[in-house]
Amino acid sequence: MTTAFGDDERTHAGRGDALARWIGYHPVAALIIAVVVIFAAWLVLAPWPAGFEDVFGKKRLFINALINGITLGGLYFLVASGFTLIFGLMRNVNLAHGSLYLFGGYMGYEAGQWSGSWLFGYVIAFVSCAIVGIAMQFLIFRRMEGQDLRQTLVTLGLSIVFSDLMVWVWGGNAIQIDTPDYLMGPVPTPIVVAVKSSGETVFLQYPRVRLVIFAAAVLIGVGMWLALHRTRIGVMIRAGVDDRDMLSVLGYRVQLLFVLVFAFGAGLAGMAGIVGGTFQSISLGEDSHFLLASLQVVIVGGMGSIPGAALGAIIIGCSEQLGLVYFQNYATMLTFLIMVVVLAIRPQGLLGRR
Amino acid sequence: MALAQITDSGPIGAETTQRGGPLSRWASQHAATLILGVLLLLLPTVTGDFILVQVAGWAMILGIIALSLMFLAGYGGMVSLAQMTVAGVSGYMITVLGASSLPTISLFWPWWVAAPLAIVIAVAFGTLTGALSSRTEGIYTIMITLAIAAAFFYLTLQNWPIFNGFAGFTTIPAPVAFGINWKHPLPLYYLILFFAALSYVAVVYVSRAPFGLALQGVRDNPRRMEAIGYNVTAHRVAAYAFAALLAAVGGILMVWLNNQISPGSAGIEATIDLLVIAVVGGLGHPIGAFVGAIIYVILRTFALDALVAVGLDGRRFQTIIGLGFLVIVLFSPDGVIGLWRRWTARARSAQERNGP
Amino acid sequence: MAKVDGAGALRPGEERPLSTIAERMTAAGTGNAIELRGVSRLFGALSALTDITLNVRPGERRAVLGSNGAGKTTLLNCVTGDFPPTAGTVRFFGEDVTMLPPHERIRRGLRRTYQISLLFQRLTVRENVYLACRGVSRGRFSFIRTRASDAIMQSVADLVSLVHLESVIDRLVGELAHGQQRQLEIALALAGAPRFILFDEPAAGLSPNERGDLVAILTALPPHIGYIIIEHDMDVALRVVESVTMMHNGRIFKEGAPHEIEADPEVQELYLGGVHA
Repeated sequence: MTTAFGDDERTHAGRGDALARWIGYHPVAALIIAVVVIFAAWLVLAPWPAGFEDVFGKKRLFINALINGITLGGLYFLVASGFTLIFGLMRNVNLAHGSLYLFGGYMGYEAGQWSGSWLFGYVIAFVSCAIVGIAMQFLIFRRMEGQDLRQTLVTLGLSIVFSDLMVWVWGGNAIQIDTPDYLMGPVPTPIVVAVKSSGETVFLQYPRVRLVIFAAAVLIGVGMWLALHRTRIGVMIRAGVDDRDMLSVLGYRVQLLFVLVFAFGAGLAGMAGIVGGTFQSISLGEDSHFLLASLQVVIVGGMGSIPGAALGAIIIGCSEQLGLVYFQNYATMLTFLIMVVVLAIRPQGLLGRR
Repeated sequence: MALAQITDSGPIGAETTQRGGPLSRWASQHAATLILGVLLLLLPTVTGDFILVQVAGWAMILGIIALSLMFLAGYGGMVSLAQMTVAGVSGYMITVLGASSLPTISLFWPWWVAAPLAIVIAVAFGTLTGALSSRTEGIYTIMITLAIAAAFFYLTLQNWPIFNGFAGFTTIPAPVAFGINWKHPLPLYYLILFFAALSYVAVVYVSRAPFGLALQGVRDNPRRMEAIGYNVTAHRVAAYAFAALLAAVGGILMVWLNNQISPGSAGIEATIDLLVIAVVGGLGHPIGAFVGAIIYVILRTFALDALVAVGLDGRRFQTIIGLGFLVIVLFSPDGVIGLWRRWTARARSAQERNGP
Repeated sequence: MAKVDGAGALRPGEERPLSTIAERMTAAGTGNAIELRGVSRLFGALSALTDITLNVRPGERRAVLGSNGAGKTTLLNCVTGDFPPTAGTVRFFGEDVTMLPPHERIRRGLRRTYQISLLFQRLTVRENVYLACRGVSRGRFSFIRTRASDAIMQSVADLVSLVHLESVIDRLVGELAHGQQRQLEIALALAGAPRFILFDEPAAGLSPNERGDLVAILTALPPHIGYIIIEHDMDVALRVVESVTMMHNGRIFKEGAPHEIEADPEVQELYLGGVHA
């Protein structure tokens, strides 16, 4: 049984056994999954035969879409993990999360313009969003302890106001954050894209900045997981997610914990805003887009679970990108269908707890 | 202050000892409603077409759709953000099946085929939404329904073969039926009034029927309801189906009134505005949906001028909506009708104290 | 410790089984109202129930006793279907109900009360009982309002008088005294045509007078309605039952007639030596 934010120490030791047992209980499912994994690996690693390409299109298109999806998943993870942390601990569905993303993006852009440093933008984005988060939790939500629905409605109201104010300040134009020079350009990868008629293999070139950001997202995710499982604060957070009533035993520190978590989640969303501004662009409407993405990620991956957010983010990212390439008019339907299937089979999400 | 309080009306099967037949008893209990009804019937005699259709008519349509949200949230404890989407599905379906400006997509079927079919499709969609949200804990309902609403918005935006993308459709007239052209302001107004009154009465009546009472029981104590023989999930899904019927009717009227439909009609902003309407009006009684709707429409119609008059940017309407919503949620979560109830209760007790 | 299962199987060298009415009637070959075979319930690593085998006859009145944590309420929840057992089967009047949801079991004649009253606080007594009666009858989804003259309202009135709550029939449940709420709990369990009722600590928080009322109501129930009563309070429990099952640490520890259990030295040491209300 998965506990909050992933498996606990007890199950780690027996993980090999558990896998063997699962395969024993579900031989058919295991076989199907094995076939799918092998096929997926072949799709990615091997050059595609000509006949295959005639039907499915160029491998380059597929690989690009796939890796775009994975790196987009990194971005979605950054936004959704803050969202899921806030919900997991405080049972507050933070509908202003998209606004925080957008605000962070704008602030990061302004900071970058002013200072000339892309990285400095991240600091400003994190700090400014964290401050907003602290204000929200400390000034408003603290007074509504236990009224989950009411808190959620407040976040909705705030998102309406924030959204409009941001349009007022920054207008409706899309803003693109420039990739810093040291991250520009493509990077060669070992993935085969095609074999030329001369016999020379062509390898995929992929933008460096996207790979770097993805690596950073992975590092942040691992860092969060470690913090949750190896620090005292992390233990308190996980305990609170498991059983909120228990937190009252801990007394006054609870409010501090809530403020910290809200600030951190908000700050993460803000940093994600810069990432999004660099990958794509930021503009009005992106707050709704990323709120929706967060919702989809946690519905699929499971609420209150960081590994769930990671899994959900990769799935949603890939389905979005692959859908755009292959089913243009019905791309959103693919993501929607995935959501529906997960809700039908496992309503608490793939890695969620009941 | 509860966000959704129990609605009033007496206990089931209670006897009264008032004189007069059942009709006169009902009339005296519902005097305010009757007066309002008469006023609405006579409205065309005192106002022009604009107020009639764009203010009163539009408010009543939003009220019908908000009523479907109120039914689920107030009686069922399920805050569904997909009700505007259901109305959108219904509106788009009648456009695609019936008449519009795009013969390449619309099928131009007669209204008595297109409208019922559009309603059926929308109700099926609403029921599916319910089926997806009913098996999870209450707070997830907002998330799941918002995700569904957003997904539909992006679908209508990106899809051209059926939904014609961001351009949408125009020229979707109400039909000519029974010798009346329902497109004209006066018939359209009465058509809307009829359905608004019908939905209101239906919801009030059903709230005390076994269906409605069971739903309220499910809201208050789902575990207990299971333990006395109710299939809680079935009741929730059935509630979504009933609410979808209301929203679907609202969607068709919406399309006939606006004479156009586009992704923004049932988009994320419209979805959230609907929740604002329902909460500001008050989730505790069906009239709240209409109260919220008229406040919203009046604000929307006159906000531009009012904002400019105080020297602010006239386009900051959403900020006003958001702030108003926040004020209600923070200080009077049971909405305007909650304020009204408390005010009249205080006035009554003051009257009793001052006494004869 | 003699571990006895309902069928009376013994391992060599152990004491003679305590003979229960249940066993005698099982031997006679007639069906059980409630039959648990090998039921276990795990919560993570915690084993709340281990290999429970229980047989209760139709119309039998049984007490399930044990200290806190013995697994009594978990057992109840498995029978009602609040959660499925991790292992084992549950049969109700011969039908396998192990995987059925609670509302299906209720419609087959099972009823239960809760340790902490689970009532509809913002509805009146009449409306609470009405919901219970409606829950086990037709017309749950009806759009037509019930009139005062409908048959179901008569059943509601009868049930309310059965538990002596006529004077507060139109008061909100939230305004009732604790004892009155407990009585209402029982009324809900009697709605429709119950065949078997599970009472979860019905005497909790009652004054001595109210306990007397409770005993009166229980003993006045028609003989075809069997019940299992979970209790801490041995006084109340032993007065209203004809057989007792003692649980300890998630297992059945002893079964027998009330006077046998009361007199049993192991029970006294393990259970009565500690808390006894």
